[in-house]
Amino acid sequence: MVRPYEFMIARRFLIKGRIQTLVILIGIAFGVSIQFFLLSLIGGLQDDLIERTVGASPHIIVLPADVIPIQTWKPEKEIRETRQPTILEKQEILSWQNYFQYLKNYPGITAVSPIVEGQGFISKGDASYSIIMKGIDQAAGSIIYNLAKNLISGRLELTGNSILLGKTMADKLQLTIGNRIFIQNQKGQGDLFVIAGIFDLGSVAANSIVFTNLERARSFFGLNGISAIEAKVQRIFDAEKIAASMAREFSRIKTESWQGRNRELLTALRSQSMSSSIIQLLVVVSISLAIAAVLGISAIQKSRQLGILKAMGVDNRGAALIFLLQGLMLGFFGSVLGILIGYGMSYAFIQTRGGATFGLRINLFNLISPVIIAILASALASLIPARRASKLSPIEVIRYG
Amino acid sequence: MDEIIVARNLTKRFGEVVQFEVLHGIDLSFTRQEFTAIIGPSGSGKTTLLHILSLLEPPSSGQLFINGIDFSRADINACAHYRNQNFGFIFQFHYLLPEFTALENVLLPYWIGEGKPSSELKEKALELMEKLRIRHIKDKYPYEISGGEQQRVAIARALFKNPKIVFADEPTGNLDRENGFLVLEMMTRMIREMGVTLILVTHDREIAIRADKIIELVDGRICKAFRVKDTGMEKALELIEDRSCRID
Repeated sequence: MVRPYEFMIARRFLIKGRIQTLVILIGIAFGVSIQFFLLSLIGGLQDDLIERTVGASPHIIVLPADVIPIQTWKPEKEIRETRQPTILEKQEILSWQNYFQYLKNYPGITAVSPIVEGQGFISKGDASYSIIMKGIDQAAGSIIYNLAKNLISGRLELTGNSILLGKTMADKLQLTIGNRIFIQNQKGQGDLFVIAGIFDLGSVAANSIVFTNLERARSFFGLNGISAIEAKVQRIFDAEKIAASMAREFSRIKTESWQGRNRELLTALRSQSMSSSIIQLLVVVSISLAIAAVLGISAIQKSRQLGILKAMGVDNRGAALIFLLQGLMLGFFGSVLGILIGYGMSYAFIQTRGGATFGLRINLFNLISPVIIAILASALASLIPARRASKLSPIEVIRYG
Repeated sequence: MDEIIVARNLTKRFGEVVQFEVLHGIDLSFTRQEFTAIIGPSGSGKTTLLHILSLLEPPSSGQLFINGIDFSRADINACAHYRNQNFGFIFQFHYLLPEFTALENVLLPYWIGEGKPSSELKEKALELMEKLRIRHIKDKYPYEISGGEQQRVAIARALFKNPKIVFADEPTGNLDRENGFLVLEMMTRMIREMGVTLILVTHDREIAIRADKIIELVDGRICKAFRVKDTGMEKALELIEDRSCRID
């Protein structure tokens, strides 16, 4: 327990130590503000990158298992085949309800949709373009592809022959809401579809998708089952874990997570986080050293006072606490100041943006962690002067003045 | 008579590799409410003796009883606590804390021992300062007041908690003669009024003669110890001037 005098004396030493106190406070404040800003900036950047990558796409995809085609023809003589047989992807999942229910009941899944997809061709006049025709469950699919937000015109309606068309294709073919358009499957069979809405998912590849409802897609491609199941999760980094556990559970399917399909991005994000951590570590170390140095000098300067205080009855613990408390107070007030500066910097950044298109990640963790680090570092740095204060004998001061 | 401090065969050695003994087996006792002056030439060990008696440093060997408690091998922190509760210190230099005002300095021992002082206690401290004629400088910092005032603040600090014993080491050594006697007069009068035991180290014989009992230390040994009222003032002065213990 801290006794009142330890706190009182520590506070007074700090107040009367004007310049020194100010120097340490500014040091801590800058350290904290840099950490806070860096965490928010890197965090914001990463959030933005991840959102761009997977914000409007499924986090988990369940596909039919790969199959090796059975050899139907056997040569009379053994021929040494140098080429391995190609692994083919099965076209559909027939009894998919089990998988669908599994995901639907999995905690942390926000949307699950069976999908039917395949290649198609969209034609207007002489022009014909390759597209991906994708049949979705309207409610779940809208969540997965964030269609409510990404729809730039029209209505989110997927009944009958209505489709949602990507912006790229709409621009290319100069199509608008209400237009009818002819779409063919790979076998050359086709039908007329009505454009109900136009969306923008942010990339050319995603924008060449044509959404329709599940049943229509199924009849369009002549499938009995479905092509895949797509799902979105609440906590984005859980996707890999869920996909893996599902793959362990069922043998006739394979699962993919967004992480599995974006390894390079994740590696890049990780190394970015690492470099930011290294910078933070260096900031913390240098600030701790500065605090230790300044408090250390202060402990030497205050030797006389400590000797007198000890003669008057301050015990070793009390003497140590006077310095430890100074460190803690510096850490606390320095970080409060630092958070204010950091907030100011972030605010200025958001105002000007510096050409960036992303926001900052300002959350409790980014706010609290630099404060805790600064307070711990200050306490640690004040251990050396505290130890010195504890060991000082009052006689050293009284005898030699 | 009631003995507040009893020391038996106290020795003090300094140094680790090369040791030298400063006190060689001191036996003495101090009577409650008495004013004892310890005199002796510089290097005689009188300040070291005072430090040991006041629990500021431990003896190398021997026994020390204060108020019947054995402090021969007491723990540092226990000593610190005991000093706070029972002792007042007045040193040659005022040793006030420059970060605190005169009044705050007076209240510091209370802060350390008991915690935040109440406003009644602050008033009590101010009354004490009034008696020492330093009330008007209560809000001034030590570096803003004169040497005599500084020393009187130190006296107020030593007396505020009604200590059982006041230890003074050349309390006026840093003041000019006139001022020194004024401060000394004030201090001894107050201490006697309060019935506090006073142990004072000085090399000034004129100061020592005001004490009830005089102990002369030479080369770490007691050379003389006598009460002024037993010997009479004339004989006491003669004894003080006598240099029979000295080698020089």
